[in-house]
Amino acid sequence: MLRRTSRFRRTAGAVAVLAAVALTAGACAGQDSAEAGSGQQSSIRIGAWIPLTGAVAAYGVPQKAGADAYFKMLNAQGGINGRKVDWTVKDNAFDPQQTVQIARQLIGQDKVVAIVNANGTAQAEAAFPFVLTQSKVPIVDEQGGSESWYRPPRPGLFGTQTLYEDQAAAVAAWAVQDGAKKILVVHSDPAAFVNVAKQVEPVAKKVDPSVVVDRLAVKFQTTDYTPVVSKVKAEKPDAVILILTSPEAAAYLKEARLQGLAQATYGYAPVAAESTIALAKNAAEGLKAVQLVKAPSDAEPAVQEFRTAMAKYEPGQDAGFLALWGWSNAKVFAQIVKTIKGPVTSAAITEAYEKATAVDPGVSPVMRFGANDHLGTRSVQRVVVKKGVWVSSGDFYTPPARD
Amino acid sequence: MSQFLLVLVSGVAGGAVYGLIGLGLVIIYRATDVVNFAMASLATLGLYVAVSLRDRGVATVLGVLAAITITVVAGLLVRETVIRPLGQGQLFSALVLTMGVSLVAESAAGSIWGDQPKAFPSLVEGTVRWSGAALPAQSLLTIAVAAVAMALVGYLFGRTTLGSAMRAVAESADTARVVGLGAQRLARIAWALGLGLAALGACLYAPRAGLVPTMLSAPLFRAFAGIFLGGLTSMYGAVIGGLTVGVLDNLAANYVSASLRDTFVFSFTVLVLLVRPQGMFGTRTFQRV
Repeated sequence: MLRRTSRFRRTAGAVAVLAAVALTAGACAGQDSAEAGSGQQSSIRIGAWIPLTGAVAAYGVPQKAGADAYFKMLNAQGGINGRKVDWTVKDNAFDPQQTVQIARQLIGQDKVVAIVNANGTAQAEAAFPFVLTQSKVPIVDEQGGSESWYRPPRPGLFGTQTLYEDQAAAVAAWAVQDGAKKILVVHSDPAAFVNVAKQVEPVAKKVDPSVVVDRLAVKFQTTDYTPVVSKVKAEKPDAVILILTSPEAAAYLKEARLQGLAQATYGYAPVAAESTIALAKNAAEGLKAVQLVKAPSDAEPAVQEFRTAMAKYEPGQDAGFLALWGWSNAKVFAQIVKTIKGPVTSAAITEAYEKATAVDPGVSPVMRFGANDHLGTRSVQRVVVKKGVWVSSGDFYTPPARD
Repeated sequence: MSQFLLVLVSGVAGGAVYGLIGLGLVIIYRATDVVNFAMASLATLGLYVAVSLRDRGVATVLGVLAAITITVVAGLLVRETVIRPLGQGQLFSALVLTMGVSLVAESAAGSIWGDQPKAFPSLVEGTVRWSGAALPAQSLLTIAVAAVAMALVGYLFGRTTLGSAMRAVAESADTARVVGLGAQRLARIAWALGLGLAALGACLYAPRAGLVPTMLSAPLFRAFAGIFLGGLTSMYGAVIGGLTVGVLDNLAANYVSASLRDTFVFSFTVLVLLVRPQGMFGTRTFQRV
């Protein structure tokens, strides 16, 4: 009898403890939910999907490191209007299906008010119906995107990345301004590269109608560029524009050097990566390209601030282009949210972006948004390889308008 | 003429790499009935070790030897722990397991060394001028090293007792056991030899491409095309098939289209297999119904 009473007491005690825990947790959850919904939270909860594993992790990991460094520095300085930024990043392995699940977690469980500095065009598109249409949560400063994202503008979608097509236009104008009369565009053969390569000719002719532009398609992920460079050599162009990935561009440059090709060579932003120099070494010397941010080696205070923060908050990561790009996007978000008077909600963020007519992150072009203009910039930074390092050439440059 | 020579030498160098990897695949397949998809990923691990040693000041040649050793040891570990317990004749199970090992090895390489491309040093720099063409010294070295390795393999299998024993096991493991040959020991030697050849091919290929965890996927793919073209059971076929793929690939890129090079090569392979399903040097097998 005594034993039974004791067991009953233990069971009752356990049930009471469990009930108390459940009630407390429920109350906390309710409170969190209410805070997130009303925007009265002490922190600003935002999220992102970024490929941190898999084939594209080489882009995602430094991007996250750069943005992390910015948000850590910002929080150490008191956050945005006294609110800390709570940036939750989940690994989508560059998989669209996984991205949709992550979007549901971020919005449903983590109660984020915006998706900030996420990565991947197709991945984001897969999540648009749930995030933008159903949940009305804005997606801002995404790394990726296409022209169709912004023409016409979609509610809640704001970009900071100069379109690949405009990058190609900027490179074309640069080559013509350097005096090239015959340009050969060497590009990978998937449609995404072909579409970008096609932008070179109309802009080059707009700058100088007498310019001749040809295109040479190369099998994607080719490593042996011997026959390609032989063909380029036979064409005798004044300038070569590379619309290739960084490893492909490095393979091209090495082979061009071996075959004694001396033409001026230009590339769009994916070519202007640290890995191009690491792989091509001396063969990259003199390579010209455009980038979305200033060269990370620049002496300007805004870039210096980035390098200092990277060394302090992300010491194991390279302070390169990709990290600076992630940093820039985080900074744009913070500067825009800073203008919000009152609760930081999804609707308030969308409204603030539409009113952000001049956001200057210092390391990338001034972003100008509007109710009908959701892409912040068309400008690029010209960069050149000098003594094994990318250095900025002049200020930000806006290419001629494309037709 | 100089352009043709340049493209030809580059094609032969590429083909020599495909031939070495293909030869490794065939040796392992004939000895143990395992199509080793993990071979390229294990060789990539070896390459990363070589680059790490280079970064610590170790000579490139020693790094290459370390890469071969690491690949062989990793391969033998995989065989003893994952493949051998399956037993004989589990072709498809072994195939899937090696695919799994390949993914694990790639993931491990990415976790340890990161996903940013790394440069792998050339064994020799510069060019050699011949008939007006500047031939890359690395390509010529690749051809020479691959030729020596292939000749040594030919000697091993054609002129030595060990080679005869390995051929006997390849014909019939049961019969070999009856006459006193240690099938497991010979299988281990075959795996070591196959993986060593693949690692050597990888070291010769790596200076051309950036070192990333999936770097050897394309050469492995082409090595498979080469062994099917040459004949899955023929070592000569693997070499000649690999060389054919490399040369056709480059000639197609130069004279047909740089974006249709694979299409051309694989169309040719399909045509050959339509005429000779066993490949150029393979032997046709018959099974009673």
